[in-house]
Amino acid sequence: MPVNRSRALVLAAAGSLFLGACSGAGDTDGAAAGATATPVSGGSLTYAVDTEPVSFDIHASPQDITGAIQRNVFDSLVHQDSKGEFHPWLATKWSASKDLKTYTFHLRDDVKFTDGTAFDAEAVKINFDRIVNKSTKSQYASSLLGPYTGTTVVDARTVEVHFSAPVASFLQAASTPYLGFYSPAAIKKYGSKLSAGGAAAVGTGPFEFTSYTKGQSVTLTRNPAYKWAPSTAAHTGPAYLDKLTIRFLSQDATRVGALTSGQVQVADPIPPADVKTVKANSQLQVLTTDAPGANYALVLNTTQKPLDDIRVRRAVLRGIDIDTAVKSVYFGVYKRAWGPISPTTPYYDKALENTWTYDPTLAAKSLDEAGWTGRDSDGYRTKSGKRLSIEWPLMPQEYIREQRDTLGQAIQADLKKLGIEIKRPRLDIGTYIAKVYGGQEGIADYSWARFDPDVLRLYFNSSSDPREGGQNATFYKDADLDKWTDQAQTTLDKNTRQDLYAKTQQRAIDLALEVPLYVRTAVVGVASDVHGLKTDPNTWANFYDTWIGK
Amino acid sequence: MSLPALLRAIVKRLVAALAVLSGAATLAFLTLQLIPGDPVAVMLGPGNAASPEIRAEITHEYGLDRSPAEQYLHYLGNLLGGNLGESYQLQRPVTDLIGDQLWPTVQLALFALLLAVTGAVALAAATAGRHPALRAAASLAELLAASTPAYWTGILLLTAFSFQLRIFPVAGAQDFASLVLPAVTLALSLAGVLAQVLREGLEAALAQPFVVTARARGLSDTAVRLRHALRHAAIPLVTLTGWLTGSLLGGAVLVETVFGRPGIGALTLQAATNKDIPLVIGLVLLSALVFVVLSTVIDLLYLVIDPRLRTR
Repeated sequence: MPVNRSRALVLAAAGSLFLGACSGAGDTDGAAAGATATPVSGGSLTYAVDTEPVSFDIHASPQDITGAIQRNVFDSLVHQDSKGEFHPWLATKWSASKDLKTYTFHLRDDVKFTDGTAFDAEAVKINFDRIVNKSTKSQYASSLLGPYTGTTVVDARTVEVHFSAPVASFLQAASTPYLGFYSPAAIKKYGSKLSAGGAAAVGTGPFEFTSYTKGQSVTLTRNPAYKWAPSTAAHTGPAYLDKLTIRFLSQDATRVGALTSGQVQVADPIPPADVKTVKANSQLQVLTTDAPGANYALVLNTTQKPLDDIRVRRAVLRGIDIDTAVKSVYFGVYKRAWGPISPTTPYYDKALENTWTYDPTLAAKSLDEAGWTGRDSDGYRTKSGKRLSIEWPLMPQEYIREQRDTLGQAIQADLKKLGIEIKRPRLDIGTYIAKVYGGQEGIADYSWARFDPDVLRLYFNSSSDPREGGQNATFYKDADLDKWTDQAQTTLDKNTRQDLYAKTQQRAIDLALEVPLYVRTAVVGVASDVHGLKTDPNTWANFYDTWIGK
Repeated sequence: MSLPALLRAIVKRLVAALAVLSGAATLAFLTLQLIPGDPVAVMLGPGNAASPEIRAEITHEYGLDRSPAEQYLHYLGNLLGGNLGESYQLQRPVTDLIGDQLWPTVQLALFALLLAVTGAVALAAATAGRHPALRAAASLAELLAASTPAYWTGILLLTAFSFQLRIFPVAGAQDFASLVLPAVTLALSLAGVLAQVLREGLEAALAQPFVVTARARGLSDTAVRLRHALRHAAIPLVTLTGWLTGSLLGGAVLVETVFGRPGIGALTLQAATNKDIPLVIGLVLLSALVFVVLSTVIDLLYLVIDPRLRTR
């Protein structure tokens, strides 16, 4: 999601990352980490993050940080690995009907919630029904369920989930913590109080949610009965750590200082400017990984002048020196982006790389062709006496992250050289939302984290209207883009999906609907005595296999 | 003071306090109405996947589909019943939220206040009317302390005492050790202002004839300063301290953020950013209440400090 308080905080990587046994061993994979040393049980770990959840209710909250913390407390039906493959978790096997409107799951029979309630088909139904219930006010999970119509309990171990339209992305959705399962007893007892976390958050996961002190920390403790980890985990049985404390340290300097002085063992994120210092410290390791989903991009509103003209859009696309800007603002830590989705997202189209390099001459020619040939006294291009000017509003400072305002200045300067004026008025958030998502501004800028190419439908399908919770702020209606992104939801055939999603990515760039800027990159700092720290494909640190060495 | 007079005074105070509180609630409500944008859209933030149905549900549940006048009356009705309502965003009762967050801020404010007043009194008493070079040095130090942003002071203190020397923990509100650095950070800027004001008052008092009389009676210089001059200079100090304490409630936000402490400041920031109407009004009421209580305490302190005010 595009903003600070939303699903923004991407913790680590799309892939499963494992930390090596010691700093020298470096970033080895999970098996190697297990082999180089014998894990020991016990100990506690403090994990510093920069955002505090507004709500801990996995079914209601749209925040990344909520998913990241609750991943340790809630399990999913299936587990998705870094390559996008699915593995059994709470479901031992599953099947989809031919039309992808019904999914059948066969559940494990030995799973218990931490309050002793058994996990069964009824629990699945209660949870999914809760998500779509109006009173849950779900801001994200309900969009993952999409055209959900209901769940049928076939028997205690079998459920069928029904949809009114094909949903190829449902397994991915089901693998996220947002479609995780609360104990039905807890739902009954706490209802809307689930947002407060603490004892109300009863799941089946490797950790129990022990306490929450608002403004300070969350404490999770090991679930001793846990024995249903997905087979991709490095071990089975309960987690190694006795206790996991999550501290909210929003200030970069405080968070980094806490890590370097050994007061926390894992800090996330490390700002790009500090990466070098942390890397140089022999007591620390740094994990740098690309986030999945839609890259941070300039989304061009194709219904507003002058961006309704493809020649102007192409000039903007080719007229920004993205390499230089991204490298200097992010100290070489973030990579520049070449397409709408990041390289770690399934069905990423590598063919787009290096196909639309910085070319101010071409951009100028494109503007000439569009008729913007005059120049005014400030050096901006004009056409029939009107200046070539585009408005790209700024959000209030507290919503801006990753120094995107600084990057914006570089973009402004590059486009000025071409004769394009970029105006950046600072809007209050209410006006910003109304104007940008109402299609009244020239440029919007955001990213969207999800480990699924279905974000392409969210971004480019004309039915994904930003006024109704969609994210297509290009407001472009294209029959092909609509067809391809819809079709990809109706099939699980990899070749077909590859073809459809590659065409979508290429067409989006070809039509210059957006200017991809950088691949969001998660940088996590970890003390060298922390072993086996993993992240799931949704990029969140998973502490199940983590242990503390000497 | 006779008993009926005392009662009258108390009733007068209470009525004034109620007027201040209801005025504060009304003003807060009006201000929130003036903020542009759909309240639900602001609450959810940009780029939220919530569907129109869910937005409508939220709007309806919080009564935001009613007219502002209706909302205001409804809110006042609840308020009279002692119900501050439930935070839109955090979905918890406002009284619980404030109750949870109040204590860490009170601890921080009181400890900072103690440090600031002690420091200011010591510094001012030691330097008032002394050698110009000494006064200039103290004055410069105070100016620096008062004008350095708490954010910056906090980071410096953290770097020195937490990251390097590792004497104090970096953050939190779990024990006394974690209170020291934030309180010192907050106290420094307060002490700077207070010491400046106090020295000026002390110097004015020291120039008065009664000082010569006291010295002539054989009192030491220190005794004159602390027992006589300080008392004279204390009135503006108390007034200013009271006012600064009131502002500490919200002013602690920077310190709370740097040190990762829970507290009212952080809560206020969150509430205002997200246009969380019940929470904002609850916090405004709290701070109005604090000011009312403080001004009462200050008025009483005047009587303690200056006997001339007691005879009426």
